[in-house]
Amino acid sequence: MNALPYLLEGLKVTIYIFVIAIILGFIIGLIMALLRLSPIRALNWIAKIFIDAIRGTPILVQLFFFYFGLNSLEFISFDRTTAGIITVAINAGAYFAEIIRAGIQSMDKGQTEAARSLGLTGTQNMRYIILPQAFRRMLPTFTNQAIISLKDTSLLSVIGIADLTQQGQIAIAATFKAFEIWLVVGIMYFLLIYLLSLLSSFLERRFELR
Amino acid sequence: MTMIDVRNLKKSYGKLEVLKDISVEIKEKEVVCVIGASGSGKSTFLRCLNRLEEITDGQVIIDGQDITAKEANINKIRQEVGMVFQQFNLFPHKTVLENIILAPMKTRGTPKTEATNKAMELLDKVGLKEKAGSYPGELSGGQKQRVAIARALAMNPKVMLFDEPTSALDPEMVGDVLEVMKQLAQEGMTMVVVTHEMGFAREVSDRVLFIDEGVIAEQNVPSELFTNPRNKRTQAFLSKVL
Ligand SMILES: Nc1ncnc2c1ncn2[C@@H]1O[C@H](COP(=O)(O)OP(=O)(O)O)[C@@H](O)[C@H]1O
Ligand SMILES: [Mg+2]
Repeated sequence: MNALPYLLEGLKVTIYIFVIAIILGFIIGLIMALLRLSPIRALNWIAKIFIDAIRGTPILVQLFFFYFGLNSLEFISFDRTTAGIITVAINAGAYFAEIIRAGIQSMDKGQTEAARSLGLTGTQNMRYIILPQAFRRMLPTFTNQAIISLKDTSLLSVIGIADLTQQGQIAIAATFKAFEIWLVVGIMYFLLIYLLSLLSSFLERRFELR
Repeated sequence: MTMIDVRNLKKSYGKLEVLKDISVEIKEKEVVCVIGASGSGKSTFLRCLNRLEEITDGQVIIDGQDITAKEANINKIRQEVGMVFQQFNLFPHKTVLENIILAPMKTRGTPKTEATNKAMELLDKVGLKEKAGSYPGELSGGQKQRVAIARALAMNPKVMLFDEPTSALDPEMVGDVLEVMKQLAQEGMTMVVVTHEMGFAREVSDRVLFIDEGVIAEQNVPSELFTNPRNKRTQAFLSKVL
C-alpha cells in the first residue's frame, strides 16, 4: 500500500488551516495591538486580558477549550476544523499583537511628530507612516511566529483533524512503516517551513528600508 | 496684524514647570528668533504653538483661532502651521517627492498631479529638483533639511516654526539651509526660529527673544539685543555664544 496519497491529503489540510489561521491571526494581532496602544483605558484592558490569557495558557488547553469546552454549551457548535483554525489564529494573534505593539513603540517619535505637524490625523499617521515602516522591521519576527504557528497546527491531530500529522498516523496504522513515514512527514514540514523563510527573505529584500 | 498671540502660556511636565507665564505677540511677516541656553524651554515653547505639547495653562491664538479651545480642530490648524525639526524627520520609506505630496493629498484631497507640480516647484526653490525620486537615506543632512522645509511649505502654511534646523548639520551644510530660510523670510513668511546661529538671528530676524528658565527674560531687535543686552543673564549667555 502506498502511503503518499494519504500524506499529500494531510499536507493540503495543514496548508489550508495554516493559511487561514495566519491571516486571521494577523488581523487579530493588528486589532489587539491598536487596542493595546489606544488611549481609551477599557480597550486597553480588553486587549491586555486577551493577550495575557492566551500567552499564559498552553495551546493544547486552548484547543480543548474551544473544541470540547465551547461545544459542550448548547448554543454553540463548531466542527473540528473551525475549532482548530480558531485556536491557531487566536494563539498567533496574541503573539502578533505583542510583536506589532513593540514594533510601533520602537518607532522614532519624530515620525509621528512630523506627520501630525503636517495635519495628518492619528489614524492617517498610523496608516501611512508608522505601520508601513514598523511592518518592514517586524518581518523577521513575523516569520518566526508564522513558523511556530505552522508547527502548532500539528497539535490539531489530537482532535481528529486530518492534517499531515494525523494522516501520518493513519498511514502507519495501515502500513506499519513508522520510521519511513515519520521521516517523510518531518521532511514535508521542513520543506513548508523552508518555503516560508524563503518567502520572508524575498519580502525583506523587496521592502528593504532605504 | 497679529499672527501669533501667546497669552500667559504655562507648561509643566508633572512638577517641573518648564514655561512660566509667557506672553508674546508675533505679527504677520515677522521673523522672530528664539535663543537661550539648552534646557531653558525653547523647544517646548515652539511645540506649544502647534500643540505638539498640550498646554498646561494660557492661550495660543494663531491667525485669530484659539488653538487651545476645546472645539478647535487641531488637525486643521496644524495644516496652516509648518514645522521643521532638528532631526529632519523625513519619512524614510517614501521618496522625496512622496514625502512632500503626502500631506496635501491626504489632508486636503489635492489631486496628485497638482500636488506633484507644486512639490517640484518647491524642490526647485530649495535647489533639489533632481532629488525628487531619491529616498531620504540617499541625501546629505543639509539636503534632508531642505526637503523637510519644502514638505512643510507644500501645505501653504501661514506660519513656519523651526526648531534648531541647522544644529544636526555638518558645518559646510548649514549655509544652504540658512539661505533657503532667508529667502523665505524675504518672501514675507511669518517665522519663529529657535536657533544657535547668532549670525542668522542678527541678519534676518526682526526680533530676538531670549528665553531663560521658562520666561522671556529679554526681547529686542537684534541690533540692540546683541550689542546692548540689558539683562545680566542675557549678557552671560551672549558672552558664551558670541
Ligand atoms: N516630555 C518631557 N517630559 C519631561 N520633561 C521634559 C519633556 N520635554 C522637555 N522636558 C524638560 O523641559 C525642559 C525644557 O526642555 P526644552 O524645551 O527641550 O529645552 P530647550 O529646547 O531650550 O533646550 C528641560 O528641562 C527638559 O528636560
Ligand atoms: Mg530644544
